[in-house]
Amino acid sequence: MFNFNIPNAEKGEKVILLVRRHPFIILVRILSWVIAAILPFIFYLVLGDVIAGFISGEIFYPILVLFTSIYYLYIWLFIFASFVDYYLDAWIVTNKRIINIEQKGLFNRVISEQRLYRIQDITSELKGFFSTFLNFGNIYIQTAGEEKRFIFRQVPDPYRIVRKITKLVEENKKFQQLMEEKDKITIN
Amino acid sequence: MAIPLSIFYYLYLILVLIYLFYTFFNVYHLMRFGFLTLGNIVMVIFYLIVSSLILIISWNYISQIDWQQTISVIPQFQP
Repeated sequence: MFNFNIPNAEKGEKVILLVRRHPFIILVRILSWVIAAILPFIFYLVLGDVIAGFISGEIFYPILVLFTSIYYLYIWLFIFASFVDYYLDAWIVTNKRIINIEQKGLFNRVISEQRLYRIQDITSELKGFFSTFLNFGNIYIQTAGEEKRFIFRQVPDPYRIVRKITKLVEENKKFQQLMEEKDKITIN
Repeated sequence: MAIPLSIFYYLYLILVLIYLFYTFFNVYHLMRFGFLTLGNIVMVIFYLIVSSLILIISWNYISQIDWQQTISVIPQFQP
């Protein structure tokens, strides 16, 4: 189902959930760059006659050609970078742990993980019009002995994900208890 | 005093090099960490095609310009 490798995969570890931000987030980012791409055309439509006078100039024309080329190259690059950032930020829930992968810029990639049985509290939050309307939000995961919380940011259908993780945590804790009891019996 | 127009051309080339540098690392990140899926590969190919198109169209215009021209920075007054 999931065509990728889990970071530091353990024996018998299976991926249960792979979550990314809601597609609305990337659409908004791309749309803002598309607007930036259209702006020069609007500008030209409004101030066409004035600009036409400048373009005909021997000096202004080459600079305009270079500027236009760079402008669209970089808009295209920023659209792609937005996609890369969206695509590489992922939260993976396996049958043993949760993994948080965040790509922060080009040369900064953070991977953190937490054991399921260490999870104490899971909270979901839907805030704002689009978040409520499109059903996406944040999930806060508090773990034992850790001040830092795991945050699944702007993920789709947070209630369903919380239910799924809660179920997994309960199963994992029961399994952990059984293993500890088994160890005690073996020692005695 | 006059400056050659080619300065803008070299500046443009530097910006294109920076563009290629960022492109390389974005594609590298997608291939290295981005879980090799069909959608991922299609996205990279689509990005490279559009990038090439922008560069080819730009070159069509740039190649027609005479970069040997100079720009007068200080206006020259005739006596």
